[in-house]
Amino acid sequence: MTAAQGNRGLPEEAYAAALASVPQVGPATLRLLLASDAPSAAWSRSSFPGDVARIWQRHEEKGIEVCWHGGPGYPARLENDPDAPAVLFCQGDPCAVSTHPTVALVGTRSPTRYGIGVAAQFGADLAALGVSVVSGLALGIDGAAHEGATASGAPPIAVVAGGLDDPYPRRNARLWARVAEQGAVYSESPAGVRTEKWRFPVRNRLLAMLSDVVVVVESRHRGGALYTVEAAAARGIPVGAVPGSIRSPTSEGTNGLLADGCFPVCGVDDIVTALALRGVLLPGGAVGAAGAGPGSGAGPDAEPGGGAEYTGPDRALFEALSSDPVSLDHLARVTGMELPALCGGLERLARDGVARDIGGWWERT
Amino acid sequence: MLACVSSATLTGALGQSVSVEVHVSNGLPGFTIVGLPDAAVRESRDRVRAALLSSGLPWPLRRVTVNLAPSGVRKGGAGLDLAVAVGVLVATGQLPPDCANALAFCGELGLNGALRHVPGMIALADATAPLELVVPLCDAREASLVRGDAVHGVSSLAELAQILRARADWPAIPPAQPAPPPPDIPDLADVRGQPFGRHALEVAAAGRHHLLMVGPPGSGKTMLAERLPGLLPPLTPAESLTVTRVHSAAGRPLPDGVLVSHPPFRAPHHSASLVALVGGGSWSLRPGEISLATHGVLFLDEMGEFPVAALEALRQPLEEGVIRVSRAGGTVAFPAQFLLAAAMNPCPCGEGVFDGACRCTDADRARYTRRLSAPLLDRFDLVVPLARPDPDELLADQPGEATAVSAARVAAARARAAARGAAGAAEPPLHPKAAGLLAAKLRQRALTARGLHKVARVARTVADLVGAEQVDEEHISDALCLRTARQVVTR
Repeated sequence: MTAAQGNRGLPEEAYAAALASVPQVGPATLRLLLASDAPSAAWSRSSFPGDVARIWQRHEEKGIEVCWHGGPGYPARLENDPDAPAVLFCQGDPCAVSTHPTVALVGTRSPTRYGIGVAAQFGADLAALGVSVVSGLALGIDGAAHEGATASGAPPIAVVAGGLDDPYPRRNARLWARVAEQGAVYSESPAGVRTEKWRFPVRNRLLAMLSDVVVVVESRHRGGALYTVEAAAARGIPVGAVPGSIRSPTSEGTNGLLADGCFPVCGVDDIVTALALRGVLLPGGAVGAAGAGPGSGAGPDAEPGGGAEYTGPDRALFEALSSDPVSLDHLARVTGMELPALCGGLERLARDGVARDIGGWWERT
Repeated sequence: MLACVSSATLTGALGQSVSVEVHVSNGLPGFTIVGLPDAAVRESRDRVRAALLSSGLPWPLRRVTVNLAPSGVRKGGAGLDLAVAVGVLVATGQLPPDCANALAFCGELGLNGALRHVPGMIALADATAPLELVVPLCDAREASLVRGDAVHGVSSLAELAQILRARADWPAIPPAQPAPPPPDIPDLADVRGQPFGRHALEVAAAGRHHLLMVGPPGSGKTMLAERLPGLLPPLTPAESLTVTRVHSAAGRPLPDGVLVSHPPFRAPHHSASLVALVGGGSWSLRPGEISLATHGVLFLDEMGEFPVAALEALRQPLEEGVIRVSRAGGTVAFPAQFLLAAAMNPCPCGEGVFDGACRCTDADRARYTRRLSAPLLDRFDLVVPLARPDPDELLADQPGEATAVSAARVAAARARAAARGAAGAAEPPLHPKAAGLLAAKLRQRALTARGLHKVARVARTVADLVGAEQVDEEHISDALCLRTARQVVTR
């Protein structure tokens, strides 16, 4: 019992982390163990092998907060849920999820430009309105939503599947750090746990539990986002879906949800309305402001007054651009400009921040 | 009863002079060839014997031994037939003993005594210098490209025997044919729309910038690339000789006028092995596709499907313009100054990411683009996105601009660049606005130092194409647009 001597003086959180780190203990067992006892008592009663001090050190080093069901700092919105995780790990401010209304923006990992644009815009608009955006930090829609939400405003919330010491997917590591800094990243997995497949549906359930409203931006037929929808529906959390083209495979899932009775989301106001119907009011009574908020579902005519400062060919070029990316060939045909002049014009528009290129295609920003 | 006749054999692209020693002695009638002959050389026994008999020359019913010296070098091909036949004739006294001393012989014999074409004649002719060379009449012009008047062509063994007995003169070599019409290069007029793709081709041809086209299937990548050789100016005499040499060594049929005068176009399939691309072979080192494409265009369609090792092997020749192939048997340097044009889809399914039709997972895409290393991508000055043409343009009756018009602009641009180079003048400085744009891109980290250099070079070509003295902002913007697809392939 050499470990026991080293364990003296360790906080309850350490034991909670240690219990969650035992490979044989699944979510249900963990819930059972902690139902009646404090973590330290549960640990000494169950005599699992494991070095509590080392496990705790690993969490402390990485700045990972630990809270358990019934313990201090445990998010209030999870307390009454029968499936709530018994132990919750968090990077950032554990209370972030309790301060603002929360809306989950989820969707496919391989979205279209449309989905990415909508997710980023909703993310930014919601955060600006004081709504915390909840998402999974996955590639595609999740990442785009948080890219938008970390610009400013309400703290962003992420829910991930694996341990918090190892950002997954790696490509979103920077975004992950930004979310942890401005808000919080939650996980049911202790540090050192690899991201396994079965953890994603569990993650999606937690994501739904933490949200007041769930919005699916783009999803394929039978996409992973539908786990989140299921979990939300089971808890009576309203689910919205962004309508998409009937020809786009990435909108098959969302259009199906609309057919199943989810509310259509054509702009941020629809989300705000859904929040209000749940009795969740925006800080500062921003409901009215939402109507006049930044345009959503931006089409080519979203900003009829834009581009007034341009004259001549640049004006024509500006008008030929839209929020849907177009090829240079298309621009050359529509404007009739020579290529060097066309490229020069695009460069000027890009410098002013009204146009950008994505791999050789150009769109209005 | 010994005769010694000079000839040459091909090791890879290089000729190696061979001395054919024929010994005829008493003993059981037989015919042996020693000196590392390959199967084709060993079989020359039967060809030589039949050819002699068909030409009305008696075959000695004695023991004939042929030694090919130097005996350590492997000899391949049927080009030694003629030398063996002459050796037998001299050794048996049917020809005067010193008639072949100042001559070398290369040619394959038919059973009827006729002389046949031998591949790699230019290299063989080089190897037999300074002796006068006797070759099949059909190869005489190829050999005389490098040896001039020191080449004689004959059409049959009987004719050769008459000449060597001093009873006839060497026949005249057929005069060079008028320059052949350009090879059948498809015309740009067939391409509808695609202004950007055409522009990229012109820039590539004018500035010798390597070109990578990224686009979905049906966006015309292959169609455009096939038309690239038509934009290149005809080869200079020196280039022409280099190309002809390599093609001759590879045993490729040469055009009627013998000299290859138009830029070659090589489009190896993506199943091509590394050796097929860069050249090699176990003991006979042969030029690969990159050398056959020298002074022309090497087109790699579906570049993402080529073996990684084969693609990486292109890096050094792209840099140095020469490929050194080393094997146990020796090292050979082949020219490899090609213009690299490559095409690939933006992702494995080909649909790209913008219209939602793409079904690739992110991992699939990463795996696809990972095959192209950063150093290889860096060799491409132009990484151009292509889109499917507009249906209206596709269906329009109006043909696109013809190759000739485009090629004229390319020639003018090259002339401008050459005039600048000849004058030795320093490059005219960039327009201040252009320099400012480049500096801004560098500060935004949108460009690396190497990228900056490349953009400036491409912009110079763009300026040459439009006839501008100074590189201004638009030319830089154009050059930047010509590399925007890098984002897609470096995800």
